[in-house]
Amino acid sequence: MAEKPRESQAPRSRSTPGAVPFTGPSRDWDWHDIEARKEGEGRAGTEKVGRVRRAARAFLGGALLGMGLKSRSVGGMAMAFAGGRLIVRGTRGHSLAAGLPGLRKRALTGRGAREEGVVTGGTVMERSITIQKPGHELYREWRVAENLSRVMGHFADVTRTGPDVLHWKVQGPFGRTFEWDSHVVEEQPGEFLRWESLKGAQVPNSGWVRFRPAPGDWGTVVTLRLFFSPPGGTAADAAMKLFGEVPTALAARALRRFKSLVETGEIPTTNPNPAARDGGQSSS
Amino acid sequence: MRALCWNGVNDLRVETVADPAIVNPRDVILKVTMSTTCGSDLHFIDGYIPTMREGDVIGHEFMGEVVDVGRDVKKVKKGDRVVVPSFICCGSCWYCQHDLYSLCDNTNPKAELQEPVFGYPTAGIYGYTHAFGGYAGAHAQYVRVPHADTDCFLVPEGLKDEQVLFLSDAAPTGYMGADFCNIHPGDTVAVWGCGGVGLMAMKSAFLLGASRVIGIDRFPERLELARTRVGAETLNYAEVESVLDLLKELTGGRGPDACIDAVGMEAHGTGVEYAYDRTKQALHLHSDRGEALRQAILACRKGGTLSILGVYGVMDKFPIGAIMNKGLTVRTAQQHGQKYLPRLLEHVKKGELDPSFLATHRFNLEGAPLGYEMFKKKKDGCVRAVFLPN
Ligand SMILES: [Zn+2]
Ligand SMILES: [Zn+2]
Repeated sequence: MAEKPRESQAPRSRSTPGAVPFTGPSRDWDWHDIEARKEGEGRAGTEKVGRVRRAARAFLGGALLGMGLKSRSVGGMAMAFAGGRLIVRGTRGHSLAAGLPGLRKRALTGRGAREEGVVTGGTVMERSITIQKPGHELYREWRVAENLSRVMGHFADVTRTGPDVLHWKVQGPFGRTFEWDSHVVEEQPGEFLRWESLKGAQVPNSGWVRFRPAPGDWGTVVTLRLFFSPPGGTAADAAMKLFGEVPTALAARALRRFKSLVETGEIPTTNPNPAARDGGQSSS
Repeated sequence: MRALCWNGVNDLRVETVADPAIVNPRDVILKVTMSTTCGSDLHFIDGYIPTMREGDVIGHEFMGEVVDVGRDVKKVKKGDRVVVPSFICCGSCWYCQHDLYSLCDNTNPKAELQEPVFGYPTAGIYGYTHAFGGYAGAHAQYVRVPHADTDCFLVPEGLKDEQVLFLSDAAPTGYMGADFCNIHPGDTVAVWGCGGVGLMAMKSAFLLGASRVIGIDRFPERLELARTRVGAETLNYAEVESVLDLLKELTGGRGPDACIDAVGMEAHGTGVEYAYDRTKQALHLHSDRGEALRQAILACRKGGTLSILGVYGVMDKFPIGAIMNKGLTVRTAQQHGQKYLPRLLEHVKKGELDPSFLATHRFNLEGAPLGYEMFKKKKDGCVRAVFLPN
C-alpha cells in the first residue's frame, strides 16, 4: 500500500515529450499537461523568443479557455498581454511583423494607439485565415450585417442601426451587458475596412479587416485585427472577464466562422446534439 | 431514441437520448439501418485518448435511410438508402476540392481543442471525441449527417446492407492505404493487422495490381480470413522467430515493396519493445504502442513505400533513421472516403469486392455493449460486430 502514490504521480511528469495523458472521466478537457509543460519551460534566452513563447502560450490557453477550461492552466497568460504591446510581434516574430504592410509599429505603441483616436493601451488581437473565394466577394459578405452577426455570434449580437453603423451587444459576467455602436471610418472596397466605436462607448474599441490574394489557388488571405480597451483591471484581465475567452482566440474563432459561412453557407455546430446528459440533449 | 453512450473508461451503456434534428440547412437525418464497431473506438473506450464527455453517443461507421432533409440539400432525398464515410466533409474548402477530405477545414466546430495537438484542426467525425468535433455518433436509431450532398452515397439497388456498410470506413481506409503504395505489376505488399481495415487493404492491393500480398497477425481465425477471403499469404508473428527474416526470405532478400500498417496504437507485440511500450502506456506516459509500425519500417525494402493507416496519437522511439537512410516514401492519412466511395461501390456492384465477411457478429442496439466487449477481446473470432438499431 505504501508504494501506491508513485503511480499517480508518474503521469504528471513534465519532462515527457509528446505525452497526452488521460486523467480519467472528466467534465473538463484533458489537455492540461501540454499547457503545463509549456509553462515549465521557463524564460527563454532572448526576450524576443520569450515573447513569442508567451504569446503562443496565451493563444493555446485561449483555445482551452474558450472551450470552458479551468483558468489555472493558463496562468501567466495575462503577462503576454501586458500593455497590449506584445501580441502581434510576439506571435509573428519581430522582424516578420515589422515587414508586413499594415503592421506598422506605431499601431502597437501608446502613441499609435492615440492616433487610432479611441483605444489607449488596450488589447490588440490579430489573426489571419485563408479562404477559397475572391477578395471582393468576401468583402461584400463581410459588409452584410446579418453575416457579421452570425460570425460574431460566439461573443456578440451585431445589428445594423444605420448606414455604416453597427450596434454591438456583449453579454458580460454577472448578467451585465455591454453595448456600443461602431461606424466605418475607412474603406477600400474589396480590400480593407476599418471601424471605430462611437464616443462614449463603454468598451472603447476599433478594428479592421483586410483581404489580400493568397498564392496559387488558395483564394484570399483575410486578416482581422481588433483593439479593445475594456473597463477595469489590466486590459487582458478585463477582456477575458468581458468575453469569457482570450481575445486572440476570439478573433481566430470569428475568422473560422466567417470562412465556414462563406465557403459552405453554414457554420458547423453541435448545438443541439443528442447525448445522455443535460436531459438527453447537449448544447456542446 | 435509444443510443449507445460512453460514460467513462470501459463503461458503455445504451440510453435514451433526444432525437437528432436538422440544425444546419445542408443536414439530413438518417434512420440507421446498420452500424459497426471500429478498432479506433477502443482508444477512447480504454481511455487512451482524451476529450470524451460522459453521455457522448458513439459510433462512426454506418448506413441508413434518409428520413428528413434540410432546406439546402439538393441531391439527397427522403427515402434514399445511403452509406456515409466517417469523416464529415464540406465539399467546398481547398482540402475537399483537392480530394483530401479528412482534412476538411469547415466541419470541426471545436477546432480549438485539436489545434494545440496537431498544429491545425482536421475534419469532424461522428461519435469520436470532442477534439474531432463532438458530433453525436451513429450507434443510435437516428443520426444527423451534415453536408449531406457531399457525404451521403446512394446504395445501388440489389446490394445487401452488409455488403455496403463497411464502405463507411474500413473499405475506403484500406483502399486508400493500398492506393498510397503506387503498386506496380510484380509488387509484393505486406499488411500488418488482419482486422477490418487490414483485410480491406489486402483486397485493395490485389484490385490495384499487386502480385503478392502478405498478411501479418497473431489470431489464426483472422489469418484464415486473409487466406480464404482475400487470397493473401499469411504470417503469424507469434509463431515465428523473426518477422523481418521471414519477410526477407519470402521476397528474395529484397523486402516487400510496400508495407501497410493497419494496426495503430493498440499494436500488440511479443518482445522487449512491446513490454516497454505497454508499461509506458499503462502509466499514461505516452499513448501509443508502436511495435507493428517499427517492424514495418524495418521490413520495407530500400526505396519502398510505408503506408500508415493505424491511428496514432504520439509515439516515442520512432526509427526515423531507418526511414531516412532507406529512402522510404511515407504516405498516411485518415480516410478520404468521399474520394473512394464511387469506385468502391462500383467494385461491389461488379462483384469484385464483398466486405460482408467482416460482419462476424450481429446484435440489436441493446446488445451493443456486449458487441463491443466481444470485438475488443476478439471473442469467438469476432472481426466486426454489427448493430441493427431499428
Ligand atoms: Zn473506423
Ligand atoms: Zn471541406
